[in-house]
Amino acid sequence: MKSNLILNGKGHTTGIVKAQAVVSRNPFGFWQGIDPKSGKVIDKRHDLVGQSLKGKIFVFPYGRGSTGTPGIFLEAVRNHAAPAAIINLNSEPMIIVCSLLAEEFYNVSIPIIDNLDKNPFEVIHTGDWLIVNGESGTIEIIAEK
Amino acid sequence: MRLTDEEKKILQGGQGEPRRIAMKILTHLGEAFGAERMIPVASAHLVACSYQIAGEAGIEIYTRLVEQGARVSVPTTLDPGSIDFERWNEFKTPKEYVKRQIVISELLQKMGVIPTWSCTPYYFLNIPLFGQDLAWSESSAVIFANSVIGARTNRMSAYLDICAAIVGRVPYFGLHIPENRKGEILIELTSELSDHFSDVYFPVLGYLIGQVSEDKIPVINGVPSASFDQLKAFGASAAATGSIALYHMVGVTPEARNLNEAFQGAKPLKKIQIGIGDIQETMENMRTYTSGKIDIVAVGCPHASIEQMRRYAKLLKGKHVHKEIELWICTNEVVEFMAKKMGYIKTIEKAGGRIMVGTCLNDCPLSKWNFCCLVTDSGKFTYYTPTTIGTKCYYTGTEECIRIAIEGRIGEKQ
Repeated sequence: MKSNLILNGKGHTTGIVKAQAVVSRNPFGFWQGIDPKSGKVIDKRHDLVGQSLKGKIFVFPYGRGSTGTPGIFLEAVRNHAAPAAIINLNSEPMIIVCSLLAEEFYNVSIPIIDNLDKNPFEVIHTGDWLIVNGESGTIEIIAEK
Repeated sequence: MRLTDEEKKILQGGQGEPRRIAMKILTHLGEAFGAERMIPVASAHLVACSYQIAGEAGIEIYTRLVEQGARVSVPTTLDPGSIDFERWNEFKTPKEYVKRQIVISELLQKMGVIPTWSCTPYYFLNIPLFGQDLAWSESSAVIFANSVIGARTNRMSAYLDICAAIVGRVPYFGLHIPENRKGEILIELTSELSDHFSDVYFPVLGYLIGQVSEDKIPVINGVPSASFDQLKAFGASAAATGSIALYHMVGVTPEARNLNEAFQGAKPLKKIQIGIGDIQETMENMRTYTSGKIDIVAVGCPHASIEQMRRYAKLLKGKHVHKEIELWICTNEVVEFMAKKMGYIKTIEKAGGRIMVGTCLNDCPLSKWNFCCLVTDSGKFTYYTPTTIGTKCYYTGTEECIRIAIEGRIGEKQ
């Protein structure tokens, strides 16, 4: 049996999540990036416009744009419409803060992993099922789309 | 992280729950970024003060902090809110929205913030010094404080900023460390562009540099000179299209008196040349329509300064805004107060322009207006309004914006 591909990186926040990936090679800002009620991408300039990030493992290179990101993100957490985990090349402080605040104020664990030993854009595709472990910083691709 | 005895005490809850939560989040972040210690900050600037950004989650978070007795411990100013507190009815803001914004305002004021409601705190009431460490949010204010003033702040963000304001500290990493402020990529303007550089190019150059710099610190060589207002417009644009928190402009900004200083003696990782053709191409990209119906002309993003108010008033004196067009000028209460004294507000309003105070088109709910086609002199409005209010957008210079508002059409008079 073919063993599952595992990526190792730096886990910033705790939690283990099993969910499907949504992948974009474009930087992302959550303010005017998602609708915090539905979790859908609303940024018309972004390739993911119209797709939902709710409950997904969101893979993108790094955060961009407005420092309002955690504001919108926490509203999405409150509405159960936030991504379940985040994978970046390099996580901006404000992306990590989203997860720290979700844990502190809403008891929700959203693992964030960056600095991976393999290029996530070459091995993870939208629709793949992953297990993300924020504690160990590992990502396991359990089923490809 | 190595914490001081007082910081350890805060982390253990010895100075109350809000300070414990704030210190916990800041420490966790510091550890993620390899910070060895905390440093004190001179001021904070908060972004999750608008209901549009903070939402109900913000109200819950601030309510919890206020009930636990949270107070800011350094001067702390506020970004624009989601309403004009005086004229919300004129701007057709839904009453429920107004009520929720007022709740946020009251909660924040219980924590001792200075209610500036402006994205330009560096013009008044929160003016940093060169080399000072800050805890600022608002991408356009962060880039200004770092680049134009030479103060030091990472891009703080919603709620992280209030944590820093409560304990008056941030973890020492990123742009607080002088070596990390060195330029990384060189943006060289062609001599043709440099020789013909004009006011209208600042937001365009910023728009382009935000896109090409990725997450690197750009050094711009060839901008002959720049005013406070021009640098404000340039940086806001660059911080909207990219994630830039710091740039250097050789011969203009304080950490870049020459190329060598801007790169701290190192070599650029990459060189990019920008010419007039690139500026024109970017300007075309900043126009999603070039003729036909216009329904709103908006200026004052970031918030207009008193000098800009003077400029608008001069252009509008004795004229009238076209009857099918709205002209909105966004600013803050401080500039409004002075502009009123100087007669500018009267001139602008007499000409049919509206002053929008303490908020802007990106923060205020405007769906009742059904705007379709915007004209602006702001790169930041250009970038965000297609999403925030769903309009098509036409970028042009300030004079041309006001002319279009008066004549009612893009392009020359037939």
